[in-house]
Amino acid sequence: MYNQYNRKALFMEHNPHLRDAVRWLVSVCFLFFLLFSEKSSAQNKPLINSTLSGLVVDASSKEPLPGALVKIEGVTNQTQTDKDGKFQLITGQPFPYNIVISYLGYDSKTVRAEGSPISIELAPNLNQLEDVVVVGYGTQKKKDLIGSVSKVDPAATVNIPTGSFDAQLQGKVPGVQITSNTGVPGEALNVRLRGATSINAGNDPLYVVDGVFLNSNSLQTINTGGKATSPIADINPADIESVEVLKDAEATALYGSRGANGVIIVTTKRGNYNEKARVNLNLSQGFSKAAKLWELTTGPEHAQLVNEYFQNIGQPAPFRPVGEVINGVAGRGLPEEQQTYDRLGELFRSAALTNADLSVSGGTSQTKYYFGAGFNRQEAIIKPVSFDRTSFKANIDQKLSERVQIGVSNSFARTGRNQARAGDGPRGGLLQSALHTPTYLSPYNDAGELVGRAGFDNLTLLLENYDVGSRSLRYIGNVYLEADLLKNLKFRSTFSLDYNNYDESEYWNNLLIEGSPDGLATSTITQSSTWINEQTLTYRKNWDDQHNLGIVVGNTLQGSTLELTGAEGRGFANNSFKLISSAATTTSTQDWWEYRLASFFGRVDYAFRDTYLLDFSLRADGSSRFGTANQWGYFPAVGAAWRIKKAAFLADAKALDDLKLRASYGSTGNQNGIGPFAARGLWSGGESYQGVAGIAPEQLANSELKWERTRQLNIGLDAIFFNERLDFTFNVYDKYTKDGLLPLSLAATTGFDSYTSNSAEISNKGFELAITSTNVRKKDFSWQTSFNVSRNINKIEKLAYTIYAGSRDLVIFQEGSPMYSFWVYNQLYVDPQTGDAVYEDVNQDGQITVADRQIKGDIWPDFFGGLTNNFSYKGFDASLFFVFSYGNKIYNHNRFFGEAGGARDAARVILASNLARWQQPGDITDVPRADGVNVNNYRDGGGRWLEDGSYLRLRSLNIGYTLPKGLTNRLHLNRLRLFVEGNNLFTWTNYTGLDPESAANSSPNQQGIDLGTPPQPRSFQFGLNVSL
Amino acid sequence: MKKLFFILSIPLILFSGCSSFLEVDPRASISDDNTIIDAQSANTALNGVYSALRSYYSINFQSIAYLSGDNIQWTGSQSQIQEFINHNVRAENATISSTWVGIYETINRANNVIAKVADLDAGAIGDSERSRILGEAYFIRGLTYFDLARVWGGVPLITSPTLNVDDNRGIPRSTQEQTYQQAISDWDIAEGLLSETTNRYQATRKTVWALKARYFLYRQDWQQALDYASRLIADVQNYELLAPYTAFFVNNVVGTRESVFEIYYNANELNPHRNQWQPQERGGTRQWAPNDTFVALVNNPEVGGSRSALVALDNQGRWYGNLYYRSPATDPTYVIRIAELYLIRAEAKANLGDSNGALTDLNEVRNRAGLADSQAEGQDAILLAIENERRLEFGLEAHRWFDLVRTGRAKAVLGITDDNRLLLPLPAEQLLLDDALEQNPGY
Repeated sequence: MYNQYNRKALFMEHNPHLRDAVRWLVSVCFLFFLLFSEKSSAQNKPLINSTLSGLVVDASSKEPLPGALVKIEGVTNQTQTDKDGKFQLITGQPFPYNIVISYLGYDSKTVRAEGSPISIELAPNLNQLEDVVVVGYGTQKKKDLIGSVSKVDPAATVNIPTGSFDAQLQGKVPGVQITSNTGVPGEALNVRLRGATSINAGNDPLYVVDGVFLNSNSLQTINTGGKATSPIADINPADIESVEVLKDAEATALYGSRGANGVIIVTTKRGNYNEKARVNLNLSQGFSKAAKLWELTTGPEHAQLVNEYFQNIGQPAPFRPVGEVINGVAGRGLPEEQQTYDRLGELFRSAALTNADLSVSGGTSQTKYYFGAGFNRQEAIIKPVSFDRTSFKANIDQKLSERVQIGVSNSFARTGRNQARAGDGPRGGLLQSALHTPTYLSPYNDAGELVGRAGFDNLTLLLENYDVGSRSLRYIGNVYLEADLLKNLKFRSTFSLDYNNYDESEYWNNLLIEGSPDGLATSTITQSSTWINEQTLTYRKNWDDQHNLGIVVGNTLQGSTLELTGAEGRGFANNSFKLISSAATTTSTQDWWEYRLASFFGRVDYAFRDTYLLDFSLRADGSSRFGTANQWGYFPAVGAAWRIKKAAFLADAKALDDLKLRASYGSTGNQNGIGPFAARGLWSGGESYQGVAGIAPEQLANSELKWERTRQLNIGLDAIFFNERLDFTFNVYDKYTKDGLLPLSLAATTGFDSYTSNSAEISNKGFELAITSTNVRKKDFSWQTSFNVSRNINKIEKLAYTIYAGSRDLVIFQEGSPMYSFWVYNQLYVDPQTGDAVYEDVNQDGQITVADRQIKGDIWPDFFGGLTNNFSYKGFDASLFFVFSYGNKIYNHNRFFGEAGGARDAARVILASNLARWQQPGDITDVPRADGVNVNNYRDGGGRWLEDGSYLRLRSLNIGYTLPKGLTNRLHLNRLRLFVEGNNLFTWTNYTGLDPESAANSSPNQQGIDLGTPPQPRSFQFGLNVSL
Repeated sequence: MKKLFFILSIPLILFSGCSSFLEVDPRASISDDNTIIDAQSANTALNGVYSALRSYYSINFQSIAYLSGDNIQWTGSQSQIQEFINHNVRAENATISSTWVGIYETINRANNVIAKVADLDAGAIGDSERSRILGEAYFIRGLTYFDLARVWGGVPLITSPTLNVDDNRGIPRSTQEQTYQQAISDWDIAEGLLSETTNRYQATRKTVWALKARYFLYRQDWQQALDYASRLIADVQNYELLAPYTAFFVNNVVGTRESVFEIYYNANELNPHRNQWQPQERGGTRQWAPNDTFVALVNNPEVGGSRSALVALDNQGRWYGNLYYRSPATDPTYVIRIAELYLIRAEAKANLGDSNGALTDLNEVRNRAGLADSQAEGQDAILLAIENERRLEFGLEAHRWFDLVRTGRAKAVLGITDDNRLLLPLPAEQLLLDDALEQNPGY
């Protein structure tokens, strides 16, 4: 045991990152000193030689442009236009000279000033080729891209009520499959870039927000039936300027050991230098509802089916006159005497949605800023679940001199949740109580007390007493220094922090199963922090417009720690006492881990005549997670592109604006999902007996443990036609993952389950197509269509043994098949004579055994994507956004339970779909007669409940009206837009459940099993955007 | 240019102190090469063995024995539990798998203690403490092999710790006879190492005697069963049949004089077993419950007597088992209690032809439950009376299946037609993981 002072000393000694931080600060201070020491000598007394006045207007509307930057070429003198678009430049320079006028959203223009005054017209920037795209450790113009990078403007989807921005991107990015799983806002979802590469090491992309590698693993520890909260929901989508999705090896290799699942780069909003303060206010209000609910049997129907089952097995029908006593058991009354109790109506509600965002941005010639504040509250469509987020954002950049700039990004959010177990497990499951409880059973017992039925909680008691929630406090931010060391050489150093304090508590009083007999409370606080220190040197030089060379080198140090402290109390005096301190028995727990990563990276890109583009990058990562033999991994990538349009033979192709062929090949890694100490042989504590400490072997060592490695080939073609009105991007890729991290099972005789090994191989191949077309571009009317479609073929190439996942082994991982395949008995038909289900006898041995279970489909769609149409007519605008998925399967586990034909009797609800069962010879149906649970007709893993999950969904419809300029001016507003938005208004699907995207569990390995999950709601909102 | 060099060197400065940057040591665990080094660490490692024993004994192992009998019904939704009740257990059964895995995990921990404590220097640990720790580890290992033998028959015999991934794999199954021999030889060693004290939560020489009595009953070595059972029954200072029947479990009592060996739980070492039995209103799931036949028997004053306290009614009028009921969930797992030694001796005496002696021991147990003396006459009737007494006396404990199998009565009583069903299947995934394993016939 250390005393406190010892611990402090040890903390310093054993925390190299603390020393590094100090070192960093000293270095940076010294750098400031050097750079500033020179500045004072460069200043001269001003001399006035000319005064230039002028006006800057929009080239087509002739409206003045306030806040445009006017700069004399080659010197530092600059000014900006006032609210009437006018400017005045007083300078020591005599006429004539060149001035450069720039304005956000317009093409910059260089004009020769011969005398004063001068009038300048700026044309709106429509040139997509000059668009700047954020890539790893830098930016590139779209025309220079070699890798596969998709840029998304999140503004279009910001009103979709999902809680987190990644859920809003569904259908917007080709090659990115986003599955929401649930209608609960702020819950974890699945984001898969170009398929899945790993069984065990995680398939989530790397999220980088303003250069901070974000923790995207839920810190939730309380059991909400397999679901988890999304840490991405701590980010306010309204603060996001752009999202770039990096997909191929060329784009992701600079992220090395974490790039294998793709990278999502989020850039938050910042101000502009020389921009007037701009205030934006967005308000919206709305509600959401379930689009449909399950159809259940009535009490009499339920009783009828149960009677049929008992008759089928030759036993007396339990629903018989009360007085008819058989073997000492009284009848439950005839079927027609049964009542029907509606519980779904009690659980589902019309849920309120509220959102408010306020921001101020702008800048002077030396400073630019963005301040944002947001509040968002969303109720789920099931009581009592809700999500709220309050967030603040402050991004400031300051020029210290012409060559040195510093800045900070800060985002702080408080996310609160009322949580509940929706589906799985008997305790506290809302949908177990509301959906899976037979409708004929009264919520009251004979004494008139509320009682749970079928082993589940009483719904009314649950709704009145649910007390489970969490609060996440999240800081994401960094401070940077950027300096132009030489004309073409830029240095940048950043220190970043992602800190999350996640505080959860549960209180179950004695009216609920979980809290019986005398109450249970838990409280857990988890702190996750990641610090990152990063330096980059960027060199860029252009020779004679022929050769363009860029070099980036850098290093990163990262440390991540997680600390968890939890307490639990049982035995409360009564339901008024809720704090653990008042419990009769209390227990506590603690956990801690840390891992570190050290990296060096570099990239060289070269372009010849803007036609031939080439780049090479390499990253070296060292991770504390791996065995000493393999701590360092190297991730190279190479890419090349040819802008064919520049070739002589296409010079005359007027309709073709650009044509580019791209290819890249490289390797990236993955190290998520395994423990920080997975390579080591360990004994752990926590094995006490009689209250005395105990230890035991925990895991066997594997000093050879190393990264998962994915190599990827990408070939792409970009084409732009008709004055940039038609934009076409096509990519094909081939990914192959080796050394997949896998707990390799050991024979139990060793005393261990498994050890972590590199033994799986997985391939993903596919294509992505994105088309954007400006169909009409007139002064009053415009119409733009964006369409994307992707296909991914996933296959497990090598797997030492088959892995089963999900309830009743419904999901299987098997060599030669896709990941997440469904493993079922294939029901061929129901014999019209006997009413028995006939299954495919795969091995033809004349009986149906487990050997006849087979893979029938998987969760992968044949293709998926989105279609957006944007219209504007005068002040009106409309956006119509569809998402679609075709060919994926979903296992309707609600039906498995709810279609037991009466054999589950009082233990489960019966769905109305069971009424189509076989009743007499000659009946043609696919619902067999009841023969018991897991006998033949209603067996575990029956294929009848595996359904087509294809769908087309109107994800959002947004109609807005912007008030005319004259009117807004009179209101002293810059712009006022009113809008209405509907989400998930229509879904076209053959799936019989409520939502083809439902999954009972957040675990990636159990996707596509629909059980007790609230569907994504249909929602309606109205709101306004005001800017001052 | 000088400035440039300075700036370029910043990352190098930052890195210069980072040679150990990638070395992070865990705090929740320790490296496996310095675990058992002295008396204290040897004791903590022994606790780890008990902890593993507790983990498979709390529910899984016991449930195999009573679900496979004829007292319990299943009310939940997973068919793998029903397989025991239907005597149609598949090799994929999850309880079978987790029990097998749990037992071998316990064996590995015991092997670690046996190997490493034996190697400790004399200065690191005293002789008597070394003997006690080794004796307890041998006792637990004997118990695991006894349990393996009665559930599965012959199994791979593992007697050394697993130190790397290639150890203890590919070991073929021994016969059931060899597996029983491993159990008794471990118990013989334990008997020699342990002292003759009383401890109801940890093994002593008396605990070994009690389990040996059970062993010889299973092996039909009636005289030795009788002898070993008598050693405990004679120890009236420490062991007695508590009256009434409920005295050994109601009111949160633990470690009563009824108990010979029970597994200990406290608020930090919970026994989840109650959740399976207790009704929803008491925070359980009542996923298994006494069936109608058992409820009728136990509530019959002529048959059940005061053992009717084993069942109770919930707020929906359904019966539930009430032997495991505590909150927090600290119900002991009763491995062996003195009532069993009386019934072991009764059965041994009956088989040795001592009907009066058998009835005397049987009636001790009956009278304690508030029942009149047994009216059974003749060896067969007495043996049947003992069998039926055990059914009720251990109604919610891990006996019924093993009793019917060892007496050869399982087919007649439970309606099993296939002899192969009397041994359970080896877990299917273990067969896939280890080619040396062979499945029991009929699976």
